Amino acid sequence: MNSVIETHGLTRRFGRTAAVDDLTLCVPEGSIFAFLGPNGAGKTTTIKMLLNILQPTSGSAGILGVDSTRLGPREFAQIGYVSENQQMPEWMTVGQMIEFCRPMYPTWDAAFCAKLLQGFDLPLDRKLKSLSRGMKMKAALLTSLAYRPRLLVLDEPFTGLDPLVRDEVIRGMLELTEQENWTVFISSHDIDEVERLADWVGVIDAGKIRLAESAASLQARFRRLEGVVANGARLPASPPKSWLIPEINEHSVRVVESEYRPGLSETSLAEAISGTEGISASEMSLREIFLALARTFRLKS
Amino acid sequence: MLPFRVQFKPGAHTYEQVVYAAKKAIITGALKPGDNFPSVRVLSQELRINPNTAQKVVAALAEEGLLTVTPGVGTAISEVRPPTREQLGTLLGDEVERVVVEAKRLHVDCDDLLQAIRQHWNRLS
Repeated sequence: MNSVIETHGLTRRFGRTAAVDDLTLCVPEGSIFAFLGPNGAGKTTTIKMLLNILQPTSGSAGILGVDSTRLGPREFAQIGYVSENQQMPEWMTVGQMIEFCRPMYPTWDAAFCAKLLQGFDLPLDRKLKSLSRGMKMKAALLTSLAYRPRLLVLDEPFTGLDPLVRDEVIRGMLELTEQENWTVFISSHDIDEVERLADWVGVIDAGKIRLAESAASLQARFRRLEGVVANGARLPASPPKSWLIPEINEHSVRVVESEYRPGLSETSLAEAISGTEGISASEMSLREIFLALARTFRLKS
Repeated sequence: MLPFRVQFKPGAHTYEQVVYAAKKAIITGALKPGDNFPSVRVLSQELRINPNTAQKVVAALAEEGLLTVTPGVGTAISEVRPPTREQLGTLLGDEVERVVVEAKRLHVDCDDLLQAIRQHWNRLS
């Protein structure tokens, strides 16, 4: 499996604060990687280091096999980048911006550009400064997709967009996956925005990476265990580390098991809380797993 | 446009929801044997889902014998085949048990449950 982004101990300090702290992750080619975390967790700082907009204090990042601090025109011609607070040539019309961008990219695909233009319903003759937020986002995405980048980096692309525009943006992004050698890295604070899109998930919290894993592997190792307990049953003083948010509520016990092993996990629950009966293990969606993790991190901090 | 509709529920498995919607379209006759089934690319773009998930959906439906994949040509709805013992087992064992457990929990009468099943049966045929 080729990785398109690879970081090792990537760190960025602002004064005494580490905005990104010892971050190591791998983004495999052909994945839609959702980079999730609350606002202020370090997502944008990470992305800026990946794209050589910010220098790391320590550690390193490789993008398309090149160290991030050595990225040059050759690499940038294969990377699309759209951020929440995109700087745009506001005085240009949409058409002028397209003509302005086109010569910079050898792989610019005029037919694809025309198709996107139609799909996004963008007016060529309007100046960017007169466009709505959603229109601007679509224009930015258009000029980042039209050269069919190998890597598309989207920083909070859906923030403040109405549902219709959000849908158009997703549709446009998926156009890219028709070709070979595509990868999408998309940051978001909201699992709901990316749940059906992502097949890899990274979770960052207070500058630290908590998790970076394929959705399939997460869904294989997480289960919600439920059982019936006797009156007055209590949680063990030191529950197994793999249990997240264990709770006993009257006659039932609920545990999110993060290292599920068929049969064994049920047995260890029955042993940890003696008298537990009728234990069932149910699969969890990406959203439920994310919420369980989010609750756990908050409880710990 | 897709020949079937998927009403996504937040939090539920994307893959299962799409597989279920496709099966429903096939048994209700919205998709008939020989009809083309959307490609992975079209499924992904129309449903706004990950292309790898769309790929899994097509593979699962083909595995169950509902789709016939002809490389280079496309994917079509298969001719109706008698269900396997395994498929019958899943339906008559696990799935029916699930409904009965829910019905008992809600104190639904057996006759009422049978009537509801019959209604759905008629609606879908």
